[in-house]
Amino acid sequence: MSESAPPPAPVRRVGPLTRTDFVRYAGAGGDFNPIHHDETFAVAAGYPSVFGHGLLTAGILGGFAASWLGRRNLRRFTVRYVDQVWPGDTLVLSGEVLRSAPGEVEVGLLVHSEAEGREPRLVLRGDATAVYPVSGGGAS
Amino acid sequence: MTDRSGLVGHTYPHYTVRVEHGKVREFALAVKDDDPVYADEAGRLPAPPTFSAVTSHWLPRERADVLGLDLRRVLAGGAEWEYLGEIVAGDVLTVRAHIAEVSEKTGSRGPMTLVVTEHEFVNQREETVLRLRSTVIELGER
Repeated sequence: MSESAPPPAPVRRVGPLTRTDFVRYAGAGGDFNPIHHDETFAVAAGYPSVFGHGLLTAGILGGFAASWLGRRNLRRFTVRYVDQVWPGDTLVLSGEVLRSAPGEVEVGLLVHSEAEGREPRLVLRGDATAVYPVSGGGAS
Repeated sequence: MTDRSGLVGHTYPHYTVRVEHGKVREFALAVKDDDPVYADEAGRLPAPPTFSAVTSHWLPRERADVLGLDLRRVLAGGAEWEYLGEIVAGDVLTVRAHIAEVSEKTGSRGPMTLVVTEHEFVNQREETVLRLRSTVIELGER
């Protein structure tokens, strides 16, 4: 990556997500709140079904940001959860440059969720800051 | 709702976690990170951006009990990661965390309690490589 701002992010689609994806994330990430894998528990809590971990969506978006901006350039990554991700949802990840200065860029990130027969919903709003070596600085 | 304002400043016992190679690959797979570096069995794998979540596997048990959250009413609010250095497989991280804020507010889903926890991750060379601020929401009883 050069000193200039990154090119626009290519939109990435991930999914449809399944209950198995949620279980895999629970095991990988260590969050065993039954609301994410136990249908009986989730329904008793008033939800139509289990739903994905916020950190699963955040993790998928983190990979997207790292591949767009360069993992080693990332200095900050922020997520705010807006709505739940349900089994069958496909995540649509997008990003845009908000501010760019020599050697630094700030981007906005969005995750929408699509499912058959439903309007796309915003499920997560995020942002990130990345830094790049400035030419002439001698660093590489 | 349970009044948790007295918990602000509560410091959790610190604990130490090894960044395991297999755990890094497993996590990358779970978050569908398609960076080819994670297909490399022998490489010195970098931790994915939200890998810090994994440390909750080794959280001392008493930790969960301090807040006494009702899991039926818990939602993740958000998180902010600040990257100060690299984390790669083989590193040994010491995790220090404290409760930074507890607040009550009323949103579209009714009254809720927000708890903000700040974590600091220090590697085996005493370098602070990551700071994480995360918010958990407990909705009011229905």
